[in-house]
This record gives sequence, structure tokens and C-alpha cells, in this order.
Amino acid sequence: MSNIAEMVYLDYAASTPADPRVVDVMTPLFGAGGDFANPSSGHTAGRRSSAHVERAAGQLAELLGCKEEQLVWTSGATESDNLAIVGAARYRADRGRHLITMPTEHKAVADVFHVLEKRGFEVSWLRPDDTGVLDPANLEAAIRPDTQLVSIMQVNNETGVIQDIEALGALCRERDVLFHVDAAQSVGKLPLALASLPVDLLSTTAHKVYGPKGIGALYIADRPGCHVEPLIYGGGQQGGRRPGTLAVPLIAGFGEAARIARCEMQENHEHLRSLRERLWSGIRDLDGIVRNGSDSHSFPGILNVSIEDVEGESLLLALEPLCVATGSACNSTSQEPSSVLRALGRSDLLAQSAIRFSFGRPTTSAEVDLAVARYREAVARLRDIAPGRAA
Amino acid sequence: MTADPYGKRVRELFARPDHAGDLEKPSARVQIDDQGVRIALAVQCDGDIIDRLRFRVWGCPHALAAAEAVCREFEGRPVSALQAFSANEIMQTLPVPREKLGRILILEDAVRSLGQGARVSPDAGEDTD
Repeated sequence: MSNIAEMVYLDYAASTPADPRVVDVMTPLFGAGGDFANPSSGHTAGRRSSAHVERAAGQLAELLGCKEEQLVWTSGATESDNLAIVGAARYRADRGRHLITMPTEHKAVADVFHVLEKRGFEVSWLRPDDTGVLDPANLEAAIRPDTQLVSIMQVNNETGVIQDIEALGALCRERDVLFHVDAAQSVGKLPLALASLPVDLLSTTAHKVYGPKGIGALYIADRPGCHVEPLIYGGGQQGGRRPGTLAVPLIAGFGEAARIARCEMQENHEHLRSLRERLWSGIRDLDGIVRNGSDSHSFPGILNVSIEDVEGESLLLALEPLCVATGSACNSTSQEPSSVLRALGRSDLLAQSAIRFSFGRPTTSAEVDLAVARYREAVARLRDIAPGRAA
Repeated sequence: MTADPYGKRVRELFARPDHAGDLEKPSARVQIDDQGVRIALAVQCDGDIIDRLRFRVWGCPHALAAAEAVCREFEGRPVSALQAFSANEIMQTLPVPREKLGRILILEDAVRSLGQGARVSPDAGEDTD
């Protein structure tokens, strides 16, 4: 692999680098001279470690607009999604076994529902419109007396499409159905006030918001009927909801990342918007180009485009040294066209040509200009090599 | 570190497809569209010798690299070599994953068809430069 300095990283939806301020907070917590002790220990060293966890919980709670005791630390969004969905489905299984989600969800959600289908739960898969947005009326029509859980992501990881979680959650609340939101792509990037939102469970992770990998959180609302059964047992930490020794340095880093995100959110939002518009303006005139997702309901850090008559895998290679994604990074080894884009009505060929550009705090205008030039050049070269379709 | 799915050879062939293009008056031409790849080949012969080979590909980097490798390999060889071409020759020299074998077999079909066409073409051997 070439030197990192030679790359142009435009894959911030897959992961972000830890902010130097985050690293500064974490580093002293690993070694013998720092607060390395088990935060569950009652002695002085343990209490010092515990203070870091409490501070981080406060920082994350402030970002989310919730109470500290409503947060459960996990290893990341995938675990949070699993705990929320499996835990809630199990807890309410005696009330009903009908669940609702969408085919455009991240694998960390969709695959969990597939497993639950095999274990006797019935799942309704709601399709979005051709821009990726779910009409709340479709959810309202799908909720049944035995429905127990609805899971809809806030910002789609491939297209950046934003769902109206307030309207969707309100429908769930009216019918006493739990509402889970995968917010891996939105926490720290869009304002959230969970205390006033009809959301029961919300998954998040640190590494999408300039925190460390390996730490996430699940928000659990404190209202009757909202509870998750644990997926693992032993130790009793976090009220038994997710036992295990807490990863203090990672948690402290997540807290600092949350603090920074809250303070700089508006500034970052404007930065990302200008970069996305710069990129789209530079390529939108290409023949056969299609923007995947909604123009009006989308997070500005992501631009997903498909293009006719260009093969996706060759396009990705021709784009080097740009580091971009053909779909979900977690699924990037698959040659299958994106299920998200197919749900938006894209043909297999068009879905297979999709490239996701995602921007971050460090992204510069010069990098975006290079991406524009590289994309135009790659498309022209591959089209020049391709034969015409046989008559 | 995740292994490079292409390797140095595929990357070199993909970056420098010197034989991509067309021939004005080919001795034979063939195009196949199957298995997620579209391959066009054209050959110009000088007697029984392959003078020039050109390709066009819509497909993955391995398919594109394989087509370029075939063109480089066969120029200057007898036309009969095209009909004897086997996908194994490519699989032994390029790191093509097993799941893409079908695409290399499409290239094999195209190369053999091209060889057959060149042998029966009345234009074979005509100098078009």
C-alpha cells in the first residue's frame, strides 16, 4: 500500500481519525502513572478511573440531550444495534412478535432482523421512495396490534439520506411500539435532543465522530415497557444491561469527541456542505450521472453518485489515490450491487457503478478539486476502453 | 493489512492498456457480452502471423488486465495460437480470484472465436497500414 500521505481520504462515513484532543485525553489513562484502575473498584484508584467514565457520560449525554444514566457503553454501533433490537424483541416477545424495519438499513441492523426472522419473529420491510426517504404514512399502515419494535436509521450510511425520526417516532409512541434509531452517522453531526424526541433506543459509536474505535453507546429511554434483555452476562456492570469491565480510555475519548462535536457542529456542517456542493458542481454535467439519495433530506457529509456505462470496480481502481467507497465499507469486499441503492430503484448496473464520497473536518477544497479531476478522467478513460453494446 | 486484490501485474496492465482500441481493417473481429463483462477483440494478420491485436473491455480490472495481457502475448505469434488459447494461461500469470474465473472463460471464448474468424477470413494477411 502506498504511503498515507499520497492518499486522498474521502471515506469519513466509514471512519474518522481520532481528534488530537481526544488522543490527549486518552493517552494518560493507559500506563502505570495514569488512572488505569478498574472503575468498578471501590478504592482510590478505582474511584479516579470512575470519575473519567462519569465525565464522559456527562459529555455524551449533553450532546444527545439525555440523562447520563440512560446511556450504556458498548463496543460500537454494531453491538448497540444488536443489544437494542435483540434485547427489546426478547423483552417484549410475550406481547407480540412483529417487528418493522427497512431494507436500506446498515447490515448491523438488517442482518439482526434476518436472524430474528429465522427465530420466529415476523418482520415487515418498508421500502423508501426513489430518493430513499420513508413516508411516515407507510409506517403507520404497517404497525399492527402485535408490533413491538420499529428500527429506522437517522442518516443512511451510503446515501446520507435523513429520515424524519420525530414523525416516525411519534407514530410508534401513539401505538406503544418501541422505536430504535441507528444514529451511527448522525450523532455529533446533527442536533439531537432525546429528552424531547419520541425515540426509545438510539445507537451510536465514537469512531464516526473523531473518537476512538472500539467504543459506542446505546441510549435507553426510561419509560414503562422500554427495556432490553442483555446479550451477555457476568459482572453486573452497567446495571447488568451490558456487563464487563469498562474501557476507561476509550470511554474518556468518546466523551471528549462528543464535547468537541457539540461545540463545533455548526461550523463543521457548513464546511461539509460547501465541500459536497463543490464536488457535485464539478461532476454533475457528466453524461449519464445520477445522484443517489435526496437533495433536500440529506446529510452534507456524503455524496453518492452512479454513472451509466462505467463498471464500478474498475472505476474504484481508476480513482486511486482517492480512498472512496463503492457502498458500505463494511461490505466493500462484496461484488453484489448495493441493496440500499436497489431499494431506491436503481438497476444492478447503475447500483454497481456507485461511488460514495464522504467528507470530514480535515478535508480541503484542494482535495475535492483533485477528486473532481480524477473522477472525470477515470470515467472518460473507462468509457473510451469499453466496447459499444452489440446491436 | 488486507491483501491487495489486484497485485502489481494487474495494476500495471490496468494502468497501461496499450492495446486498447480498434483496428481500421481487421482480419477478424469478435464481441461477447456475458457474465458481467463485455469484450471486443480485433486482429490484423500478416499471412499466418498475428500482426496487431486490439481489445475493448467493459468489466472489472482483472478482465481488462487479462485482455491487455493476451494482446501483448499474442502479437507476432501464429494465428493458430489464438484457437489454442486457454484461460489457464491467464490464471497462472495473473492473480485472478476464483469467483472471476467465469469472466476469464469469456475472454477464452472470445480469443478462440477470433482465431477461428481470422483463419477463415478472406482478408487475412491484407496489409492495412
